[in-house]
Amino acid sequence: MAGVQVGKRIIGADAPVTVGWENIGKVEGGPIKQFVFTYFQPVMLFAAIAFWYYAPNWLAVASTAIAIRLGWTITLLVLEWINPRYESWQLTWKEFATDAFYVALGMTFLRMVDSYIGDGVMVEAIQGAFDWDKFNWFTGLPLLVQAVIISMIFDFGQYWMHRAMHNWHPLWLTHAPHHYITQLNVQKGAVGNPVELFLIGLGIGGFFDFLPRAFLLAGAIGMTVSVYQHINVRFNTPSWWRFIFNTVEHHSVHHSQDYEATRSNYSGTWIIWDRMFGTCVDGEAEVLGMEGGRRMDIGETMIFPFREGWRDSKAWFAKRFGGGSGGGTMQPQLEPAE
Amino acid sequence: MTGLSLPLIDNIWRVRGEVPIDPAMSAAEAFARIDPLLRTPGTALSDDGGVLTYTKRNPQAQDKLATFTRGRMWIEQAGAGAVMRFDLFSHALLLCFLTPLLFLAFAQMAIAINEWEAAGAEASEKAEKKDEMKPPAVKKLNPVDEFLGAPAPEDPSKKKKDKKKDEGRHSPDEGYVLAGIFAAIYLVGRWLEPFLVRRRLRAALAGPPPAT
Repeated sequence: MAGVQVGKRIIGADAPVTVGWENIGKVEGGPIKQFVFTYFQPVMLFAAIAFWYYAPNWLAVASTAIAIRLGWTITLLVLEWINPRYESWQLTWKEFATDAFYVALGMTFLRMVDSYIGDGVMVEAIQGAFDWDKFNWFTGLPLLVQAVIISMIFDFGQYWMHRAMHNWHPLWLTHAPHHYITQLNVQKGAVGNPVELFLIGLGIGGFFDFLPRAFLLAGAIGMTVSVYQHINVRFNTPSWWRFIFNTVEHHSVHHSQDYEATRSNYSGTWIIWDRMFGTCVDGEAEVLGMEGGRRMDIGETMIFPFREGWRDSKAWFAKRFGGGSGGGTMQPQLEPAE
Repeated sequence: MTGLSLPLIDNIWRVRGEVPIDPAMSAAEAFARIDPLLRTPGTALSDDGGVLTYTKRNPQAQDKLATFTRGRMWIEQAGAGAVMRFDLFSHALLLCFLTPLLFLAFAQMAIAINEWEAAGAEASEKAEKKDEMKPPAVKKLNPVDEFLGAPAPEDPSKKKKDKKKDEGRHSPDEGYVLAGIFAAIYLVGRWLEPFLVRRRLRAALAGPPPAT
């Protein structure tokens, strides 16, 4: 495969990747379908912002957000059914049950663990150590400005954590299972090793004191923007949207079987971080996964980083101290130093 | 497939059924027609005296029989006609059937940790009292937001006592709800997946003979 040059890199040499907005697929169907799948994303974003902006205090609470999230997930699953992006990504019962398992694990066991060692604990410790009252002026900013700042700071942290995962072997081992998914569906963002989900959840937005409503607004932006990164729906995404925000198009390139393509589009919500730091590739891909599309089951996903980490460190020690002849050869690393 | 005979319980993970076939069709031809369904990556096939047996190792997401990791199929004469019988085994259905237990266990774990922490908290409650410093200041909205009519933030000093503290750090509710959801997912799968297998086998057997 020839691939396409993007900056200094060749994208699509190992597996098919479509590069450039002019080459990607479009919504097929009548005028109503065209209209719905062109304006659905922006309308939902503005509706969510308006709701959280004006909702009375008794309604603007976390439990409302959870109820909305459930209804929202079901809506998006219906969209996947009505207007799938690729037939080869269609949800089966087994895929749905598997994805639901990861989501459920995150809502129960991982949340319990996170409440002891997660970023909330660290933020509290750091807040206790400094006089953060100096940042009180933040809460005087307009709510939407606060929300955008929270969202962008959080995503900035995610961008660099994610990029580090693709560049440093120990971190890559935690992130690799997520790259074994062979199709994108609404709940696929939860699929991965728990260690990774913990690391990617470490936020740096929580250090400043924002108004609770600003946090809910930031959550609404995340829920109506980054949720589309794993979705099997064909949208005619407006060009202003895909310039600022991450999309399923960007994220399918990131999940491609093409190695160079996976080293792009690291952000969760704000693709402008990728544009700024030179890692953005505009395009889309259908053929996803690792090792030619081998599916990783739940059991292997849970042990993968530990098993591979053990193997690799054994090989490293054998090479370093075993006179070069003992032990296995080291696995070829997938992420060269930048 | 196993030496054990579990006539009722094994309905949880085993699916047995039949699809009618043209009585004139030979077993070899019937197997040839369903061959494309089975010839997928990770599937081992064997034809053992008129019984087609397959096993799958980690089938792909879009494998039409991905839910059923082992299976046997054979032809039987039934009255004037003939049927293809199948007897399939599913790891996925069995695990999904057991999943509610896992989430009930997580719910119990949440309750146990809450109780354990509450016992520890009582002992240190006195020490905590001096922590109650000045009440936090009331936050004000930006004038832009006031003009646009966003509700003002609540006065934190008027807030009732933190309810969460009484109920403990973890809630078992998610565990209970998810156990219910997985029970529902199991029931849907136990009905849907056999339905799809029958439909796919029928379509394959009725279709044109595969080109050889």
